[in-house]
Amino acid sequence: MHELSIATSLVEALLEIAKKQDATKILAVQLKVGRLRLISLDQLRFSYQVLSKGTLLEGSRLTIEETPGFTRCPNCGYAEQFEASDISFHLTLPNMKCPKCATDLKIEGGDECVITKVRMTIPSRPSEQRVTKSA
Amino acid sequence: MNLGQGVELAKRVEVVTSSEGEVFDVELEVDILKENRRLADENRKRLLSKGVQAIDVMGSVGSGKTSLIKEIVSRLKQSYRIAVIEGDVTTTIDADILAAEGVPTVQVNTGKECHLDANLIRKALDVTPLDRLDLIFIENVGNLICPAEFPLGSDKRLVVISVTEGPYMVVKHPMMFLDAQVVAINKIDLASAMGVNPNNLSADVSRLNPKASTILTSCRTGAGIDEVIRGLQLRHIA
Repeated sequence: MHELSIATSLVEALLEIAKKQDATKILAVQLKVGRLRLISLDQLRFSYQVLSKGTLLEGSRLTIEETPGFTRCPNCGYAEQFEASDISFHLTLPNMKCPKCATDLKIEGGDECVITKVRMTIPSRPSEQRVTKSA
Repeated sequence: MNLGQGVELAKRVEVVTSSEGEVFDVELEVDILKENRRLADENRKRLLSKGVQAIDVMGSVGSGKTSLIKEIVSRLKQSYRIAVIEGDVTTTIDADILAAEGVPTVQVNTGKECHLDANLIRKALDVTPLDRLDLIFIENVGNLICPAEFPLGSDKRLVVISVTEGPYMVVKHPMMFLDAQVVAINKIDLASAMGVNPNNLSADVSRLNPKASTILTSCRTGAGIDEVIRGLQLRHIA
């Protein structure tokens, strides 16, 4: 249940972003979480909901985009993507040796855990152009 | 502002928009796990500046992490000045076992958390006599999932699994083994009673992490302990 600590970092990061932008309310948050991270998205959503209560995040919508695991061979360039639909991934061993040249593969994607977009309410300050207004 | 059908209305009526606030979308890339990594890097630099090597020991509950550390410490304590940082949800049982070896131990109780993180290790290092040490073992909380997500700033990772956990521990927890330098397959004295072939576990590790040294150990018979020490490739002390 390390999702609680990750949700805590998420909430702290969002409050920091809100402070920098002088936002009074965060309405929606978009996250990108790699499939190679051992993060249960349901637990993350639940923790987020609990932790956001009583803050300016309360009631915000959390959208999580999952990114597939991706390995590449640093020697011959062979690349392999773990099928995004393969829910059994965590029950099968990824083979970390290149099938073409037997070099150790490097993980190039699927290990991210980043905030990519935040929708928030910011009191108007017409003289400043801080951010793009939403459509 | 596109008023669409209302444009006729706008010509005749003054429109006052709310000044309470407007909705903005901000695109960014904020790494949530970055703070832990930053603290881990700080820990790493701090240990390096003091010339102290640190080994993060990970494995599930009851795999034999404490016993293995105890065996390693008893063999190395004549040549290295060692301390142990013990991570547990609660109690000082493991720290007491290792303190009996005569080395300084620091107990870190995580309370509700299922893993150590770089911030807890930073605090533990504050109360560890780094100037008088060569080597630190950090025993993580018994868990094969959560600790993989939180680097601590150690030089090396030693993962301990045991035959009593069954034949599928590696296959079920692949991520834990990706960054390990040494994997100990422990309690091999119980392998036949368990009907588990430790060589199969070893083959699973090699497929997943070809660089790791995988060693069959038993803390009861002493098998493999010296090989684990060699596998850790500790720097020699002048």
